[in-house]
Parts: sequence; structure tokens; C-alpha cells
Amino acid sequence: MAEPFRKILKSGKFIVTAEVGPTKGTNIQKMIDHIELLKLKVDALNITDNQGAIMKYPSLGGCLLIEERGGEPILQVTCRDRNRLSIQSDLLFAFSRGIENVLCLTGDALKMGDHPQAKPVYDIDSVQLIQLVKILNSGKDIAGSKLNGGVDFCIGAAATPSSDPIEPQLIKYRKKLTAGVDFIQTQAVYDLDDLRRFVDYSRNINEEVKILAGIILLSSVGMAKWLNENIPGILVPGDFIDKLAEAPEGKGLSKGIEIAGELIRKIKDKEICDGVHIMAIGREEKVLDILEAAGI
Amino acid sequence: MIGMIKKPIEEILGYLEGKKRILIYGCGGCATVFHTGGEAEVNEMKKVLVENGKEVLAAVSVPFGEFSCYAPWVIKRISGYMEELENCDAVLMMSCGDGLQVMREIMEEEFGLVKPIYPATNPVGHMGGGPRIFKEKCIQCGDCELGKVSGICPLTQCPKSLLNGPCGGVRKGGKCEVNPDMDCAWVQIYRRLKELGELEKMDEILPPKDWSKTQRPRVLEVEPLSPGE
Repeated sequence: MAEPFRKILKSGKFIVTAEVGPTKGTNIQKMIDHIELLKLKVDALNITDNQGAIMKYPSLGGCLLIEERGGEPILQVTCRDRNRLSIQSDLLFAFSRGIENVLCLTGDALKMGDHPQAKPVYDIDSVQLIQLVKILNSGKDIAGSKLNGGVDFCIGAAATPSSDPIEPQLIKYRKKLTAGVDFIQTQAVYDLDDLRRFVDYSRNINEEVKILAGIILLSSVGMAKWLNENIPGILVPGDFIDKLAEAPEGKGLSKGIEIAGELIRKIKDKEICDGVHIMAIGREEKVLDILEAAGI
Repeated sequence: MIGMIKKPIEEILGYLEGKKRILIYGCGGCATVFHTGGEAEVNEMKKVLVENGKEVLAAVSVPFGEFSCYAPWVIKRISGYMEELENCDAVLMMSCGDGLQVMREIMEEEFGLVKPIYPATNPVGHMGGGPRIFKEKCIQCGDCELGKVSGICPLTQCPKSLLNGPCGGVRKGGKCEVNPDMDCAWVQIYRRLKELGELEKMDEILPPKDWSKTQRPRVLEVEPLSPGE
């Protein structure tokens, strides 16, 4: 049985979370296999929420699977697909079924996904979503009505330490801290100086909030370039693409594992932040190899 | 202004199938600026309908400055075409949806005429600018935020209508995640607030939008302008 994530956040240990991407359909065996593989090897597992605006099995469903199997789930909630009513309803259900951690996100734009004609919701934004969860935690809904049975979520949000320009991002980030978060999972980081600057900035405002650096598993030059062009908020720098290019034919994935492991080890050894969030997109089975490469 | 583009002629002819006698009505407002219902377009449409076997009983051109969504002006002008209106099988309205529905209501309520009326345009946004380039500016949210965001509307300029700063998808150089040719709305707001010396406005957490103010259909009652206007 996994320890509650909020307890781990206070433990002082180097925290490791990972994400599992759900399937497009009800054949959930692969997702279950990934959950079984990772549930006790990481401190918590996120299930993504129609990531990239591509319709998938929901985060809520995946988190239930984690919970039922004794893991510690992190529910991802985006503002793109649901209004404030359904977000609150989903959160009530999630908590009632033992899901106590939530990551509050804006949501990737519909244009980049497979249902570009859908109506975007964005009834609220990620800052207002954090506030919404806080209000639910206080025993009321956001219309002010008392809840008949409350919730007590551990609240997370995202951050992009290498955004350009950084200043508007930092202003929004400050608002997330003010709204009240317990942990941050960043978008993929490669520049550890940027990361350190960001962590220092955050700790100056709030020392308690734990920051987990996002680590994406790269498998090829093609993938890195594809991420740069298609996935918002990710920028794999040229020197990392060069390292991937050095890998012999067919060894791109091994190189990617090595790169990810090295990044994690540096972050841990230099105590740059409180942990890492590993995103091995489509290759969840490699998370353990990454941890081994990192010496964890 | 309401930005508009023309509907495909095949779609318009589809609506008019089986309807021989047509009355065309243009608009001297936005439809003239966007070349979808001005005098030239009304005359062109008459030509096209005749080529397609229609009998155009009247092709009413409306002079620039007279918008076809203002009922007093429409009543005044269409009153000069009552015979054609009574005898037509359908009206083709070369205005936006406001003009079409105003005309429909006038036909029904003023003249007791229930007849088919069809659109010739697709409205594509509340726009401003010109004389050549027009950009969407306002979604008529009912509770204007422009005073809080240095005059740049995040509901319109941000594809996600975010109220508290940029999303994490901002591209390098401050370009929008969704429209890479555009600067991120919040980067624009940040730069302008900085220049105005009002950056602290961006620190305020704006609460969830009251979308009930956009609950449709909205109605306004006002004191009419003087007769003749």
C-alpha cells in the first residue's frame, strides 16, 4: 500500500512521480500493467487527462485503477473540457473513492488534438481551479453552498521554468502560489540553471511548496524535434538533440534513458529541487530503467 | 462591426431550390465594408440568380451608412417594395444574422407576411480595424474586463480566454500556443502594463467569469432616437 502523497511531500525525501498515459478505448490492460509495474516504485502516479487534446480513457478512471491496486494516484484536471459544475462533481467523486491528489491544469488547445471541432470550455483557468479546490477543501462549493461531506485534496499545479519570456509566466506562477498549492510538477526541463533560478524564485515566495522537475524520455532526434514543434511548453535544446544524434543506429532509446538518468542524478546530487516527475510518453515500462540510470 | 464572408453560392442556391421569385436585400453597414452585401454584391447576386433561372423581383441596394439591423430604416426602405415582398417566394438577405432576423420580424409583425428568408453570409466575428485588415476584438461578454488588462481583451485575444496570465504553452519569443503567428495575449498585456507602470494589476487574481451575462438571447430596451433617425 502506497503512502499518502501529502505525507511524502513533508518527508524531506527526494520525490519521484511518474505519469501513465491512458488508452483510447476500454482495453485497459496495458494501462493496468504499467500501473502494476510502477505503483510501488514511485511516490505517486499521474494519469493524464485527454493529453494533447486527444480523446482517451479519463484520468479519473485511471486513478481509480491505481487506487484499487494500492498505488497513490494524482488526478489531472484540465479546464478545457469541463465547466465548474462538472469539475466540482468529479472532484467529489474522486475523493469519495480515495483519490486525494489533484493536478490543476489549463489544458492543451483543441486545435492540436484529434477533435479540433469540439467546443472548448475554459469556463475557469488553472489559477481559479486551484482556488476552487481550496474552497471545496474548506467545506463549500464555489457558489457558497455547504457540502454534505467534504474533501481534503493535496493540490498541485504545473510550471514552465524555461518559458520565453519568463516574466509573465512568473507572475501567473505567483498567483498559483497565492491561490494555494502543495506541489508543482514542471514541464520538461533541460537547463538546470533555469531550473535552479525558478526554484529559488519559488522558495523565496513559499518555502513549503515542493517542486518536481519534469523529465521527458527522449528516444530519437526525430522525437525531440517533433516535441519542439508540436508540444506546447517543451523545448529540447540543440545540445541534447546532438547527444541523441551521437547514439548508434537503434540505440536512441538507450541514449534517451541515459540522458534522463543523468539529468535526474544531477538534480538530486546538486539538490536543485525536491524531486522529479518522469514522463516516459508511450514508454512507461522504461521508467524503472531511468531510475536505475539515475542511481535511484 | 460584424465581420462576414460570403456563403458558397451552392449553399445559397440549395436554400432557394423550388423558389423562383426572389427579393434580394442588402446592407449598408458591415456587409458593405466586408463586400458581402453592399451595392456591388447585391447587383452581382441578382445576375447570378437570374443565370440560375430565378426571377429577381427586386434587388434592394442599401446605401453605405444604413445598416439593415436597425428596424426603423428597414421598415422605411422595404415599404417601397411591398408588391415585390408580397409576391416573392423567398427573401435572400445579404446581411448578417441580425439583419436577417430583423427583416423576418418586420415581415411578420409589421406586414403579416410569413415567408422563407435565407442568409447569404457567414458572420465570423465582432471585428475592428480597417480599411484593409480587420481583427476580432470583442465577444460581448457583458462585463468588460478591458479596464483591468490595459485595453487588450484576453477573452478574445487568448484562444483559451484565460484571465490570469499565459498558459504554459507559450512558444519561444512569446508567440501563442494555438496561433503561432500571434503574440500571446498575456505577453502583450504584460508588455503594455509594464509600459504603463501598472504591472501590479497582473498580480490580482481575477475570479471565474460570470458567463451568465452571456446567456442568450439578450434583450435591451432603450429610449428611441429622435424620429427620422
